[in-house]
Amino acid sequence: MDIVNEILEKEQKKAEKYKPITVEKHLELELDVGTLLAFDTNDLDTKLLKSDNQRDAYLQSLARDNTQLLLNKIWELPTERIDEAIVVKLPQPTTVLPRSKPVPKPKPLTKWQEFAKAKGITKQKKDKLKWDEQLQKWVPLYGFRKAAAEKEKDWLIEVPQNVDPMTDMYEKKASEKSEKVAKNELQRLKNIARSRKVNIPRVGLPVTSDKANATQLSTAAVVAKASTASLGKFQDKLPKEKEARGKGVHELIPGKVRKRNAPIPTPQMERENNLNLIDRILNKRPKIDMDKAVSKHIHKEQVQRSEEKKSMKPVKGKGKAKGGNVTNFSAKKPKAGKGQRNPNKKNPGRKRR
Amino acid sequence: MGRKAKFDETKKVKKGPGRKARKQPDPVFKKGLLDDDKEEKKLSHRQKQRAARRVKKKKEIVEKKKALKEAKKNVAKQQEKIIPEESDQSSGDENAQGFTDDNKEWLKLKPKNKKNVKETKAHSESEPDDVSEDEEMSEEEDEQGQESEDGDDDPKVEKKSGKESYKVGKLDDLFVDTDDEQDNDEDNEEDDTNVSNKMTYDSDSSEKDDDDEGDDDDMLPIEKANIKLKKKQKLDKKLADEELQLNIAKQDVFAFPSQEELDNPTSLQDIHQRIKDVVTVLGDFNRLKQEGKSRCEYTELLLKDLCVYYSYNEFLMEVLMQMFPVQELVEFLEASEVARPLTIRTNSLKTRRRDLAQALINRGVNLDPVGKWSKVGLVIYSSTVPIGATPEYLAGHYILQGASSFLPVMALAPQENERILDMCAAPGGKASHIAAIMKNTGSLFANDANKDRTKAVVGNFHRLGVVNAVICNYDGRQFPDVIKGFDRVLLDAPCTGTGVIAKDPSVKTTKDPKDIQRCFNLQRQLLLAAIDCCNAKSSTGGYIVYSTCSILSEENEWVVNYALKRRNVKLVPTGLDFGTEGFVKYRHHRFHPSLKLTKRFYPHTHNMDGFYVAKLKKFSNVIPEVVNDEEEEEEVKEGEEVQQNGDATPKEQTEAIKAPVKRPAETNKMEPQNKKSKPAGVVNREKATNKNKDVKENTKETKQNADKTDEKANTKNEKKKRNKKKNKKTPVSQSEQGTQNTKQPNVEVNENKINVKGPQIKVKENTAVKAPSVALQSKIELNQKKTEVINKTNDITENQIKSSPGKNKNKNKKKNKPALNKAEANAVNKNEAKITDKIEIAASKKLKNKKKKKQVGQLNDKKSGGSKPSNASISNKFNKNKVKKN
Amino acid sequence: MKVLSETRTRVLFEKLTKYIGVNVKLLIDRPDGTYCFREKKDRVYYISERLLQLAQTVKPDHLISAGTCFGKFTKTNKFRLHITALAYIAPYAPYKIWVKPSAEQQFLYGNHVIKSGLGRITENTPKHQGVVINTMSDIPIGFGVVARSTTECRHADPLATIAFHQADIGEYIRSEDTLV
Repeated sequence: MDIVNEILEKEQKKAEKYKPITVEKHLELELDVGTLLAFDTNDLDTKLLKSDNQRDAYLQSLARDNTQLLLNKIWELPTERIDEAIVVKLPQPTTVLPRSKPVPKPKPLTKWQEFAKAKGITKQKKDKLKWDEQLQKWVPLYGFRKAAAEKEKDWLIEVPQNVDPMTDMYEKKASEKSEKVAKNELQRLKNIARSRKVNIPRVGLPVTSDKANATQLSTAAVVAKASTASLGKFQDKLPKEKEARGKGVHELIPGKVRKRNAPIPTPQMERENNLNLIDRILNKRPKIDMDKAVSKHIHKEQVQRSEEKKSMKPVKGKGKAKGGNVTNFSAKKPKAGKGQRNPNKKNPGRKRR
Repeated sequence: MGRKAKFDETKKVKKGPGRKARKQPDPVFKKGLLDDDKEEKKLSHRQKQRAARRVKKKKEIVEKKKALKEAKKNVAKQQEKIIPEESDQSSGDENAQGFTDDNKEWLKLKPKNKKNVKETKAHSESEPDDVSEDEEMSEEEDEQGQESEDGDDDPKVEKKSGKESYKVGKLDDLFVDTDDEQDNDEDNEEDDTNVSNKMTYDSDSSEKDDDDEGDDDDMLPIEKANIKLKKKQKLDKKLADEELQLNIAKQDVFAFPSQEELDNPTSLQDIHQRIKDVVTVLGDFNRLKQEGKSRCEYTELLLKDLCVYYSYNEFLMEVLMQMFPVQELVEFLEASEVARPLTIRTNSLKTRRRDLAQALINRGVNLDPVGKWSKVGLVIYSSTVPIGATPEYLAGHYILQGASSFLPVMALAPQENERILDMCAAPGGKASHIAAIMKNTGSLFANDANKDRTKAVVGNFHRLGVVNAVICNYDGRQFPDVIKGFDRVLLDAPCTGTGVIAKDPSVKTTKDPKDIQRCFNLQRQLLLAAIDCCNAKSSTGGYIVYSTCSILSEENEWVVNYALKRRNVKLVPTGLDFGTEGFVKYRHHRFHPSLKLTKRFYPHTHNMDGFYVAKLKKFSNVIPEVVNDEEEEEEVKEGEEVQQNGDATPKEQTEAIKAPVKRPAETNKMEPQNKKSKPAGVVNREKATNKNKDVKENTKETKQNADKTDEKANTKNEKKKRNKKKNKKTPVSQSEQGTQNTKQPNVEVNENKINVKGPQIKVKENTAVKAPSVALQSKIELNQKKTEVINKTNDITENQIKSSPGKNKNKNKKKNKPALNKAEANAVNKNEAKITDKIEIAASKKLKNKKKKKQVGQLNDKKSGGSKPSNASISNKFNKNKVKKN
Repeated sequence: MKVLSETRTRVLFEKLTKYIGVNVKLLIDRPDGTYCFREKKDRVYYISERLLQLAQTVKPDHLISAGTCFGKFTKTNKFRLHITALAYIAPYAPYKIWVKPSAEQQFLYGNHVIKSGLGRITENTPKHQGVVINTMSDIPIGFGVVARSTTECRHADPLATIAFHQADIGEYIRSEDTLV
């Protein structure tokens, strides 16, 4: 009896470890076994939910109970045993799961489809094989063996009366065919373009982005130029050609090694370098600045004249009395003014840098 | 060849037509070609919301317009009637000013009353209006008579209550108190009924207005209005005369305002007048005081009035009251309302003051040198051009800078070729001043923690031509990690700005103890960092200048004092020959005596912003180990803990800080309690009346809780043990505990008080509580089971009990303070210790009353939970109730 | 704080010579210590060697400015002088324009100097020369580029632009945030 008791006790202890499989609920769960889904419509205990220390335990027990109910339901289904595993076939799910993605839009109609729709034309299915009287056999409408059949059929093509007798009828036919294909392709593209609201030129194809843009072209040009044995050292340059710049361009150009940062020079060296640089800038061979020269000259003249005026002052009264001198002087003045007003015309010169 | 065999099942080969057809990818179009205009885009969620809002707004506008139109129409119709109505009301308002506040309701009410009478009459008898109006007059007069009588009554009542507060030691007081309160209640009820009457009138009047229109056709509206106006003028005059007499009477002896008056504040002028009166009374208190009023009552009144008049929050005002004597306080507040004169500093790098002054005078600026103490400052009195946009300003010849901002730099006294740090530089005024004094030699580090504000520093430095500066953006506390060894360091610490209230009035209301705490904690850290940055071995320097634009001692002396203890620094004279000395003792704090060398500046005495300057000299680069100075330790801990303790509500904190306030005058100490004690007493008496009933209820409760007695017993034992322990402890230790728990630096005040008065209180408690306890002796057995509950809440009950015996009033009050201060839980423990079992039981009786009334549900909860925190919360709630009642 | 590359140094000096001519040397060759140009975030700072040593202790992220900002390099590698450089340009500039008090405000709002506002101009100022613009009381308020030479100015009509606005001290208020 001891043994029996022991075993019983053990069993009891074991049972105590686990919770009972029966769960009581105020309202029954809504179960959808097909998707392994259970809805608990019972009210939550808000008090427990709000208390910080009991919330987790509460939620855990709730989840456990509901899972238990779900599993109970599953166990009610007919079971099978496959390879030591008990398997249940779930019924069809009743819950409609929402799509994660939007419903696909219908494909836009092609021009023909639109036209057919408007006219009420319905597509008639054609047979794939057709009886050819001439060959006395079934010939496919398109595809496999169609070409062979065609070849067999057109072993000779008559040159019509109104056509130049020297034309190659085979060639003509081939070109017609290729044109047809091209046209088809064009129409396909046009349809796509229309569906995507693309502005298409009246004639020809739209420009596609597989054409390179300016930076790509310039990069390509620079790279090409540098791709010589001497790394483009002896290549001619266009008058205003610019090196391609941008991220990653430098690395593309052959022979251009990444420059290391120059070491920080000592203050003295830096000063020296700077002074040298300034000297170089300042000691550039001066270009003849015509504007400056002219204005300087004019200024000098003006100064001279004003000095003369000062010295002439006493004489001036006489001159005025004479009158002739005045007219002379005044006649000259506009001339000088004229010259000054438009100095560019007189001395076009070189553009100053 | 044939087809490929289908060996790999996983790879599904597509079936159907076009399987092998070469599928061309869709073409890629250039972006320019895509025109999205044709395609209508779906609106995003936000856009939809915005659209909805737009529509709503439009609708509202349309409705408003409609309403306006209708209103206009109505106005056109009813204008004749509305005008008299309005004037009526306005006169009513004027009347109200002449009377005490509680009568306001009456006076406001009257016009409508009158109109009602008139209307009914006009409707029924169609008498001429004059007669009815005469009647109204008489009615009004009658009412006024009553009112004046009421008004007379009030002071009497007040006096009575005042006396009561003074004559202590009788239980009867409680009854009188309640009478008083009942009176108040009655008054309130009256008011309520009035209000309700008014409401009904309102609803009626709208209907009757319409009737009125048809009947009064025989008289032109203007004529009617005229008659009414004349009468009103007569009435006004009469009232004005009365008011005048009343005012004259008031001026003779300042009558302490009644509670009702305080509750319904009148105009600001009245409050201002009252402030003046109270200040004069306090100036010569013995002669001018009203019989039976204590000083603290006056100061309390003054505090409230000042808060209202200058719109400060109570906390800040209280702190200020502690700093200044009353007269000076008013001066300070007045000065804080007015902006300081605009001052500029000449940039000595670019120009001289004389030249600048000349240039500005030429631009039409009226200016003067700021004073003999500064060679670069100019005061601008008036200006025809914007002073911050003249070509001279833009060329960097001067900078707008408050006079007070010169001071720290002058105290710093930078020398040429030194390395100087300005730790909180933005917007660069002081730093550029330093650079100017150094004449652009040496090097200047201008640091600011706010990156946006450093832009202002950059702008100012370039404008002023400062070239020896490095501007960086570090948190000042980390600066010692970046670079050290400065000859001089200027720390113009961020502060609460209580010295510059004129500049930023938001300080008045926004600052609470927590802000200050935060501030001075930061300031301490910054000051330590500043000291660390400084090089003591510098041949010329080794100086640190600490300045704030705050006048609070917490942010100034306290911080410097802290630094004195923590680093090898000493205070040296600032070199400023004016300003008042820093505090050496402030309230309970005792600072290092050398803090006398620091300088304080006040708006009302020095005509510049409130400012504080301290100059420290570092004498050793060694950072001393933290001294285990108890006080200091505590301070730090408190500061830190408060920062951590975010859960304590600010309200509690403010209470906690407020309570320990120590007033300069002896009597002041009582002030907060006077008010509180009264209602407490009331409650007690109410309980006394209900006692029988309550006791029965108590027994019931105990039965209910019988199943939980075990639990209780446990807790009870624990508590008893604790009690014993606590009893053994000296009162000092108790109070210390209290302070630690509350985590408020100011609570130290409590210690001091309690140290002195603790034992006395104990004795008194026992005696005081005897009376009620004897009465309840019979019920003790029953209640013993509930002692636990009592324990939990006896801090409150204790207060109640204590407040009842009149003799002990003063002392109890002092005891009450800490009780209120403490956070709930520890308050319970502490008070427990002091209370004998008898008291507990007695308390339980009273408490039960309360609980029964209000918190039965919670009580049960508590019992079931049996946990400490809930108890604490309940006791807290009781506290709150108390506060409300008070 | 980077050392300027040689091309950038050249660009910078060329710009400076436009305004102060040979005096650029004086900026480098100073009796009171070595001064140098450093670059940070395309901004060029003129800073003494001693201060630079100290400034280098500050991490680049936290360093806002050191010394005097002269201007910045644009994305197209041109140098643009900022008004903050005025303190160094003004005393060295050989060519100056003085504007009348009535035109000061106009210029400070970012407008060009027109003939009617012109008070004085240095003799022989060539066209397109960088000039410092002063008030009549000799306060430098900005710099610009001369649109007409001195001689042309004499005969220009009152509304004609004499100098193009480049920078003015009004920018301290107008664009404080973008100064540096």
